[in-house]
Amino acid sequence: MVRMESIAVIFGGRSAEHDVSVVTALASVIKPLELTKKYRVEAVYIAKDGAWYWDDKLKDIKLFTSGEIQNYLHRTQPSSVQFDGGMTLVKASGIAGRKQHRKIDLVFPAMHGTYGEDGALMGLLDMAGVPYVGCGVSAAAICMNKVLAKRVALGSGIPISKYVSFAKTDLERNASGLLKLLDKELRFPVFVKPAHLGSSIGISRATNETELRNALEVAAHYDDEVLVEEEVPNLIEVTLPVIGNEQPQAALLERPMTKAEDFFDFETKYLQGGKKGKGKGGGSKGAQGYSQIPADLPKGLYSQAEKLGLKVYQVMGCSGIARIDMLIDEKAGSVYFNEVNPLPGGLYAHNWNKAGMSNVELVQRLVGFAKERHAARQSLTTTFGTNYLQQF
Amino acid sequence: MQVVVDNLITNCELSGKGKLVLLLHGWGDSLRGLAPLQSELSKHYRVLSVDLPGFGNTEAPPAVWGLDEYGRFLAALLRKLELDELYALIGHSNGGAIAIRAIAREVLSPKKLVLLAASGIRSDQSARRFAFQVIAKTGNVATAWLPNRYRDALRRNLYGAAGSDLFVMPQLQETFKKTVRQDVQADAHTLKLPVLLVYAADDETVPLKHGEKYHHLIVGSTLKVVQTGGHFLHQQQLPVVADSIEGFLK
Repeated sequence: MVRMESIAVIFGGRSAEHDVSVVTALASVIKPLELTKKYRVEAVYIAKDGAWYWDDKLKDIKLFTSGEIQNYLHRTQPSSVQFDGGMTLVKASGIAGRKQHRKIDLVFPAMHGTYGEDGALMGLLDMAGVPYVGCGVSAAAICMNKVLAKRVALGSGIPISKYVSFAKTDLERNASGLLKLLDKELRFPVFVKPAHLGSSIGISRATNETELRNALEVAAHYDDEVLVEEEVPNLIEVTLPVIGNEQPQAALLERPMTKAEDFFDFETKYLQGGKKGKGKGGGSKGAQGYSQIPADLPKGLYSQAEKLGLKVYQVMGCSGIARIDMLIDEKAGSVYFNEVNPLPGGLYAHNWNKAGMSNVELVQRLVGFAKERHAARQSLTTTFGTNYLQQF
Repeated sequence: MQVVVDNLITNCELSGKGKLVLLLHGWGDSLRGLAPLQSELSKHYRVLSVDLPGFGNTEAPPAVWGLDEYGRFLAALLRKLELDELYALIGHSNGGAIAIRAIAREVLSPKKLVLLAASGIRSDQSARRFAFQVIAKTGNVATAWLPNRYRDALRRNLYGAAGSDLFVMPQLQETFKKTVRQDVQADAHTLKLPVLLVYAADDETVPLKHGEKYHHLIVGSTLKVVQTGGHFLHQQQLPVVADSIEGFLK
């Protein structure tokens, strides 16, 4: 009998986006992977304290929504991971002290934010030599640092909105000097963002100096690097889900149906089901609430944004999957790159569904891209024989 | 909107224009529970609601807090938002107890106070509270032999059956214990500002007789009794409650 490939879906983690990750993993990754009936799917949950747990029980969303997860963690021994020229999950079997092992063929990271989406987990998986879904170390690290992503974009001639960035220590040392600099460089309204966090955590819109001061404090509460950028006038926000490696494929350009003052914060995105954005027709409810898919834009502007999104994907070195957020000045007809999300919440399956791709097909293709990328990396020379040691 | 107050990420909502009204939610609730009332009052007032530390989207307090710490936190929040002139304070349930204490101790100085099913009368030995205390005193001994996970589950069920909010926010158990030990009747008796008390006759969590007691303690206060609506009367009887408040605030 042919052995089924084992895919470990890793989710949770020590990140402010821990809860979002649980929803992504259970609803958008594990379920469709199991529906393929091609893989043995292993749920690997990283708790908020960093301990790893491997258990089929973790596939049940009720465990998390009911709060029962705390009791589960209380009574369960964390699992361990063996790096044995690959990756093997290990846990107590409950029978006479014996251990249960599972060799993992491929990893599907479903972790948002710090340690999961920022390249840290990818580094571990690269070291283990296991193929994995999504962006590699460098692309993930660039994309998850909004300041770095802007610098890379700028270096590649990709238009971005005007911004100022600084370290938290600058704010602590000389807040008034910094406020003066911001006043000189940027015009209100501005958006203040922690450089590294996703899911809109810690992002505020400021229209005056008092709001700006408070917004800086909030962003610095979450991160050691802060970004302040000018709001694009006549704003239309759009986002483009993209998958693939060398030849990326875009889904449909999506327009979140929110007003500028109700821009997507964490609350709107994930906690209110996007109700602030609910309104005019044509909306579709996804991970980010109600949005227009495809975005109702003039043909030229739509195609301009689509081209820019695909270019950003390649410039950042993305692979597997990502979502490119862009800002459009409707009157000027200008499109600006905003940020890249290397693991879109819920994989943005709602958009891919509209583009004609089912959840099952989406995860299968992502697994395919992971294998393709891994094979390409395997073909590179990383070691070669020398007589250096003998000569030492 | 988020702001950092006393090093805690604090979630609050500011809406409307006019004199400033601050809304305080009860134990286990959040500003969302007051959103319909905020929406009504925002038509005539500038209304601020806040997730108190440990609730909604505000970080939990770093230590065990009581009513006084919550009061000082609110004063710090108003300073942070540069909102000086507080016209009215509206507190529901435990939010009412926080309000009474903060005004009596001159931490907050609104011109008017509305107490919605406010708690803070702790000496009332109702059957439920008696059951709660018996469980608290005997429960630890009676369940000591059980493994932790079963013990916690059993305690949760027993406290729930006794109507206690102890396990509503597990991470705030010690803060809850400290809060419910603080009786604010003496504080209420010192209040000199106009006070409107709104209670539901069918409230089983904070009974009408607590409202009557406050009415007796606070000279010149007005007691409005809503026949039905339970403890969340501002949601169940929004038009009646909002009308009463608006009439009082005029």
